[in-house]
Amino acid sequence: MSTILEVKNLTIKFGGLVAVDDFNLDLEKGELVAVIGPNGAGKTTIFNMLTGIYRPTTGTIKLEGEDMVGLKPYQFAQRGITRTFQNIRLFANASVADNVKMAATMHAKDSLLQSFLRTPKMVENERELDEKVMDLLRRLNMADKADLLAKNLPYGDQRRLEIARALMTDPKILLLDEPVAGMITTELEEMAQLVVKIRKDFNVSIIMIEHHMNFVMPIADRIKVLDFGKTIAEGVPEVVQKDPKVIEAYLGGALNGNA
Amino acid sequence: MKKIVLLLQKLSPFIGCLIFYIVVTVLRSHKIINGYYMQVLMFAGVNVMMTVSLNLVNGFTGQFCIGHAGFMSLGAYGSAVVTTLIFKGSHFTGVAQLPVFLLSLLCGGTVAALVGCLIGIPSLRLKGDYLAIVTLAFGEIVRALLRLIQPIGGARGMIGIPNYSSFGRILFFVALTLWLVRNLIYSPFGRAFIAIRDNEIAADAMGINTTKYKILSFCIAAFIAGVAGGLYAHVLCFIQPDSFGFTKSSDFLVYLYAGGSGSLTGSVIGAVLLTILPEMLRFLADWRLVLYALILVAVMLYRSEGLCGGKEVPFLKVKRASLYKEPIFGAKKNAAKNG
Repeated sequence: MSTILEVKNLTIKFGGLVAVDDFNLDLEKGELVAVIGPNGAGKTTIFNMLTGIYRPTTGTIKLEGEDMVGLKPYQFAQRGITRTFQNIRLFANASVADNVKMAATMHAKDSLLQSFLRTPKMVENERELDEKVMDLLRRLNMADKADLLAKNLPYGDQRRLEIARALMTDPKILLLDEPVAGMITTELEEMAQLVVKIRKDFNVSIIMIEHHMNFVMPIADRIKVLDFGKTIAEGVPEVVQKDPKVIEAYLGGALNGNA
Repeated sequence: MKKIVLLLQKLSPFIGCLIFYIVVTVLRSHKIINGYYMQVLMFAGVNVMMTVSLNLVNGFTGQFCIGHAGFMSLGAYGSAVVTTLIFKGSHFTGVAQLPVFLLSLLCGGTVAALVGCLIGIPSLRLKGDYLAIVTLAFGEIVRALLRLIQPIGGARGMIGIPNYSSFGRILFFVALTLWLVRNLIYSPFGRAFIAIRDNEIAADAMGINTTKYKILSFCIAAFIAGVAGGLYAHVLCFIQPDSFGFTKSSDFLVYLYAGGSGSLTGSVIGAVLLTILPEMLRFLADWRLVLYALILVAVMLYRSEGLCGGKEVPFLKVKRASLYKEPIFGAKKNAAKNG
């Protein structure tokens, strides 16, 4: 396996507050890494740096050797890092199919003139895109909802649509920001299966932020635990789970052995 | 047989336009429609183009431009300069007239689009209210500048513009605009616009260069507004800077939001109805403006999304290709019906 993403000494300060302090990550190709930690630990801030929304104060982000710091969010996406959002951000007034199609904009081959005239070539491209979209939706079990408006979808489907949309950009790395936030236990299981399937079928590396230990433990290769912007533990799920520092961060305060 | 029906269905909007043209021409030649109403119809056409172009920016891309008459005046002056000053007042007849007119419209549109780019590049970084203020200021600056340029008449305006805009020509441009804009909306470009409108942060995160697409939408809209301005100048044969003030811009905003922003059908209906309505109400003398305003208030109260908000007539939209190529649900539905 080879390293696809290399993050070194990533630090960001907001005024006097160090939101993320010296975050390091070497992501292997096809790996699934989970970043966990209590609220306010700086997890989403890391995602915002990895997608160009925030510019880190110091540190480097290298995707397949290319320095990414200073690029704009859309350039991160174009180079192969896409994300989903913790607070769902769909194109609410567009249909499910259109939401996914919109994410293919950067791969579109039609020129402005072709689009204005709706040339046969352009129609053919649209048809191919349509098939690609429907294929993707079928793989995520959403094909029957293709023509519903995104805002009318049930909550769980909105989360899945976010993932479908991100996959349409053909990412090398997929960042999932709390994919099961607000879901019930049965949905948790479904989502876990979906994430495993995506990782295999779409050949992507995944970084995932999540609170739910039950969700993360069985599927993650590696876990990084953050607290107050600092990485306090790292390793395979079984080891991290037993780390006293992690237990302390999660349950707070001193813990006597019988917990 | 089925093929012929399909073809007729595809051509129906064009056939509709043709029939409308013939009906109006016949009524005109029998003097049932007088010259004044012909002019109102032509203004309605120009207003449709203006509203559609404003819809592209405000309705589809989700920006807020309130100085759209500025682009219209640039187009009007740009094209009037070509027909009146460059081809000095010599009224072309017959074959030579059309190329000159088309060239002038192209010039008008290009001037408007170039200025649109120039304004758009710095100002489209702004959002919402701030962008509105910049575009408002832009409209006023254009008006003030046009008043200062003496060769084009200054504040007195430009007279002696040949009346090249006929009803047929305006109808043609309206149909062309609607066709082109519809095609654009249902293309990767249009989807990028709508993505920006619905969620700019998400659009950015999905690899859409939001600044680029916003400027593009702004420039295309400015071009259409410029051409509409050119047509307007050649209907009225007289233009002056003050007729493109903020009142004019706000008229287009009213047409857009009363018709339904984000709907091409709405733009057409809004612009046509609200251009003709004040004329129909003329028998009420001064009360007509009161009634006009009351009707607007009623529309906004009972249909806040506009008359056609979220709706589109079939020929102004394009269905998802796989919907009719590979009817996944259609097949199921039909099977259920048959069973």
